[in-house]
Amino acid sequence: MEQYTEANNAGRTGRKGRSRSVGTAEVMKYVIAVLILGYVAVILLFTGGSSKPFDEVARRVEASLDSGSLSKQSGQALKRYYGLNSADYKGAMLYSSDASISVEEVLLIEAKNEAQTAEIREAVERRIEQRRNDFDGYAPEQVQLLENAQVLVRGRFVFMAVSPDAEQYRTAFVKSL
Amino acid sequence: MLFSSITFLFLFLPVTVLIYYLVPQKTRNLVLLIASLFFYAWGEPVYVVLMILSILLNFFCGKDIGEKRADPVRAKRSLIFAVVMNVLILGFFKYYGLLMETLNVLFPYEIPYRELALPIGISFYTFQELSYLIDIYRGNAKPQQRLLPFALYISMFPQLIAGPIVRYVDIEAQLLNRVMSMRKFGQGVMYFIVGFAKKVVLADSIGALYEQITALSIGSFSVLTAWVGCLAFAFQIYFDFSGYSDMAIGLGKMFGFEFRKNFQYPYIAKNIGEFWRRWHISLGTWFREYVYIPLGGNKCPASRHLLNLLIVWALTGLWHGAQWNFLVWGLYYGVILILERYVWGRALGRLPVFVQHIYTFVLVLIGWVFFFSPSLGAAMDYLGVMFGAGASAWIDRQGFYFLLTHWLLFLLCAIGSSLRGMNILRLLTGSYESRRIRQIAACVVYIGMFLVSLAFLVTESFHPFLYFRF
Repeated sequence: MEQYTEANNAGRTGRKGRSRSVGTAEVMKYVIAVLILGYVAVILLFTGGSSKPFDEVARRVEASLDSGSLSKQSGQALKRYYGLNSADYKGAMLYSSDASISVEEVLLIEAKNEAQTAEIREAVERRIEQRRNDFDGYAPEQVQLLENAQVLVRGRFVFMAVSPDAEQYRTAFVKSL
Repeated sequence: MLFSSITFLFLFLPVTVLIYYLVPQKTRNLVLLIASLFFYAWGEPVYVVLMILSILLNFFCGKDIGEKRADPVRAKRSLIFAVVMNVLILGFFKYYGLLMETLNVLFPYEIPYRELALPIGISFYTFQELSYLIDIYRGNAKPQQRLLPFALYISMFPQLIAGPIVRYVDIEAQLLNRVMSMRKFGQGVMYFIVGFAKKVVLADSIGALYEQITALSIGSFSVLTAWVGCLAFAFQIYFDFSGYSDMAIGLGKMFGFEFRKNFQYPYIAKNIGEFWRRWHISLGTWFREYVYIPLGGNKCPASRHLLNLLIVWALTGLWHGAQWNFLVWGLYYGVILILERYVWGRALGRLPVFVQHIYTFVLVLIGWVFFFSPSLGAAMDYLGVMFGAGASAWIDRQGFYFLLTHWLLFLLCAIGSSLRGMNILRLLTGSYESRRIRQIAACVVYIGMFLVSLAFLVTESFHPFLYFRF
């Protein structure tokens, strides 16, 4: 293996070039370090989850829901619609419409780890796709709601809302963290 | 994006391979870099920025260290800055939650904090970057002067998410000039198919049994069931992780790269030291080169050697995750290695070989309990059941049912995790005199294996790789 030596480095860049290059690399590493700090602050603000207990977050989201059009579902419904076991997670809450011609649904799950977060996100995407296939062609307004579904991952919380009020529910979720 | 997903297999990979081989040779690194960033951004649209910033930071840090090597004090300062930055970034994303959680347990009042998802692959690419910086400082590698090859070294999609942890010195020459041939491409495809089958046929199937058993509440299952569950996890994690590594090595070959092996039949080891020379080889090598040897290794008084081993194994445990049970898992191996070295290693070597295998495998199974349990308390409860405390019975119908309904799967796993599996594969594909027949046999066997794996994939639910969370 070729060994790095000062001789070949100096030979490549020359003394003058090397001293200029030292300055550039040194300055750039500090600039990037500052950028990383800024980036961390931004993602902490905009993508961070919460250490709050699941029940507290769920209660605040529940309070914002339209109880006339949505009703709370059991763990069996979560299994049937999403293929997910509610007992596997820190907490799970599913609301959906009782009307068979409505796609309205609100889901909130707190995963135990990142692998579960990915698993839930995948299940949510599958569910939206499946509902889109079900309603495509005869209920365009429902398909539109699915197109505008709000799916959000904050830390280990996964949130999904399909509803005319989806944005409002999303805001309630973000504020609850 | 998962290697074992339809999107990857039938869209991302064929398109990337096609473009890679169609463009002129000098553009291939750029194609691979763009594909790698897209691959990462697909699953981590937010954290791809972190990875790019990390690449830039280490690129300039590497240059800075290289340029200051004439002045050892300045070079050392530059290295310390770079190492501290990398450790801080990794530590923040990986251990900040654990730190806050621990503080909240210790203090009487609750400190609210924002949890962050762990960026996928951060432990792997940070360790690659550290190896690059330290090797430049030591004079074992030259700082890369061009950003493109360095960015490709860090972000290359075959090994980005879950290793192997490729050392820069091992791949430096290949980044600029590598051999590509149909033969190598074919070998890569075969490696990939073997890894794919390990993951979707064996790991995911035996993993379903493990999930079934661990879903039972403590006290409701027998000692036999507890050991069956632990055995199922041992096979799941081996085939999951070694399957991923095989796929990574295979993909590397398809693009002309040669990565070192990450697994060498660890379950056939005769002692724990040997087990760790066969399991996650790239991580073990990294800790040996950059932590154990700099600490003094074994060329120091016994007391210092013990301390070195415990430090290395505590770090190895914590590398796997921000949970106390990972720390205990690491220390558990540290203590066993100390005992093998100073207490019973020689006596163990004199025992019949099959006893040595049993000794190693049982200790590894016990270790996995710390690894798979969600907390230290849960691990102790499960271990208690394995040894009779809190078990519903020693042996029961349920335990036999699990064994009888999965005996074929266990047999396949046992064969697949030993040399016999590869020997059978070689027998099926290479025991013919005619080269033409050997080629046809290989095509039939590997295409068959791929189709069977595909059938498993489309009928299964989503199963990400276990090592993604590290």
